[in-house]
This record gives sequence, C-alpha cells and structure tokens, in this order.
Amino acid sequence: MKVLGNSGKIVVLIIILSLVSLMGYAIFGNRDIVKISPLIGKQAPGFTLKTFDGQELKLSDLKGKTVLLNFWASWCMPCRQEAGALESSWQKYKDKDVVFVGVNVWDDNSNAQKYLSKFGGGYTQGLDPNEEIQVDYGVGGVPETFFIDSSGNVRDKFTGPLTEQIIDHFVLKTKQPQENES
Amino acid sequence: MNNYLIKSSHILYIFFVFIMLFGFQSLSVADEGKNIDDQTKELSYLLMCPVCQGQSVGESNSNLAHDMRDIIRKQLEAGRSKEEVLAYFVSSYGESILSSPPPKGINWLLWLLPGVGIILGGIGITLYLFKAQKEDKNEGSQKINTQAKMDNEYMKRIEEELKDSDS
Repeated sequence: MKVLGNSGKIVVLIIILSLVSLMGYAIFGNRDIVKISPLIGKQAPGFTLKTFDGQELKLSDLKGKTVLLNFWASWCMPCRQEAGALESSWQKYKDKDVVFVGVNVWDDNSNAQKYLSKFGGGYTQGLDPNEEIQVDYGVGGVPETFFIDSSGNVRDKFTGPLTEQIIDHFVLKTKQPQENES
Repeated sequence: MNNYLIKSSHILYIFFVFIMLFGFQSLSVADEGKNIDDQTKELSYLLMCPVCQGQSVGESNSNLAHDMRDIIRKQLEAGRSKEEVLAYFVSSYGESILSSPPPKGINWLLWLLPGVGIILGGIGITLYLFKAQKEDKNEGSQKINTQAKMDNEYMKRIEEELKDSDS
C-alpha cells in the first residue's frame, strides 16, 4: 500500500526537520544558560560573614573598594592549587583599594582551620553561619570567585583555580568604570 | 490487511485520551492548605540541583541541594510566595535552575512543539489507517465479485453438462 507519493514524503520530512530545528533552537539558542552568572552587572547580594578570627565582615562595609570574593573548601584540591596565587596577588593589591575575602563553604570547621594554617593567606577568611551566601551568589562548586566593583556591582565570575595572571586580568577589569551592560 | 480493521472511532478515542492525559499533566495543582513541609518538597522538585546530573533539589543529597532546601523552607516560613522563592533562585542561578522552562518568549516553543508533534503524528497515523481500511474494503469487495463471477461460470458449466447428459 502506498500512502504518500514522493512529494508527500518530502513535505513530511521537511515538517519533521522544521520541528526538530525549532526545538533545538528553543533549547540551545540564545538562552540565559550561556551567561556565566545572572548576577553579572547587578548589585552584589549583601552578606555578613563570621571571620575565622571572630570578627564580623559585611559587604556594605567594603563599599568604595574592589572586592575579590573567593569561595573555597578544605577538601577542594583546586583551592589548594590557587592558594599561592591568591596570597601573592593580595600582597600586590592590598594597598590599592582591593579587598580579598575568602568564604569557606560546605566544610567542617576544624578542617577549615587546619587548611587556613597551611594554605591561608593574610586576607580575611570567613563563613556564613546561615550557609546562605553560596546560594545567594549561585555557587555551584569550589573554587568560584566573584569580582565586585567599588559601587557594589558584580562584574565577573571565574570558575576554577585562579592564577596571578587571571587575578590581574579580572581585578584590573573590575577597577575600570562599568560599561552599560545589560 | 486484517490488522488495519481497527475502527477509526477507536483510534480517535485513544488519541483524544492521550492528548487529555498530557494536557492535565501540565496543569498545576492548587497549593492552598498545604503545610510548609509539603510546599518545601513541592518547590524542591521544581528546582534542578546545579551540581548534579539530571537530579532535582528534592532528589539530590548534595550539600548544595541541602542548603537550597533549607533556604526554600526559611523563605516560605518568612511568608514568601512560591513564585518569589523561585524568582530568588532564578536571580542567583539563571532560568536553567528551573526543572521546566517558564512559558514565556522562546520557551513557548518548548511547550507547544511536543503537542504539535503529537497532533501531527496522530493525524498522520489516523490518515494512514483510514486509507488502509478503505483499501482493505475495496480489496474485499473485489474478491467477492470475482468469486461470484467464478461461481456463476461454474454453475453454468454444470447446467450445460447436465443438459448434455440428459440429451
């Protein structure tokens, strides 16, 4: 039995291909998922950290300064890999209105303390007792680093271990006036 | 050809039930009267765990999913609506955090195309079966005509032979 002629088959094939193409475009084409973080260009979520030396640190206290916000954990190998670069970059920028803040997440407190004594730099390290900061910033894993400008806007996010060159690139970019980003 | 002798009305009925089932599945259930536990659980299944492969926050045992469930609960307890809680997670992780795309903009294609595909597929199958059934009927009536013709010729021959034998 012949249901469709050759032209009919071509029409059906074109319809199927069109539907598949449209579906592919809807899933992969021009969507938000390609953006590194929806926070980029927006006001950074506020936080209050409890630092490992018993102080409190609020993001609002750092207004007017460039902030490098680094999320880490003691069990994270790439965090150890970037620790040296963070420390040397902090030494380089600490007198240039750039503040480095380390945020310990998904960790055991004693392990975090041990890690800090071995790899911790001289910059402020703390944690959010409510364990909300990592979700506020849309953190999916460690290490992740956010660069916040002097107006309190998130300018960039970097996922993975930092190097001094990467830090230089993002810090200098963050210190430049913000272009009109959507 | 006997395989095609399913009644067309049955095919349409099955097709209709199929469409209705898909349609009702997408309808949201009113959450009035649900307690915080139920609402937290419901919302946790509407969010995907960002560090897991294809698991929702409700299904995952990761630290992040645990944090996210706690935040959902806290926000619901603080009186935030379901939409506000979902909007909070979208603002942090983007729309990809949602287990189903919100029906707006290009996302409409994702909601409509599967339905269009099912409808077009259903129409195609129905047309195919109609045509098959029609052809089957034509073939059947042709067979009956041929058989009747053959029977007539046979009867004629018998009658002629009987006449010959009588004479």
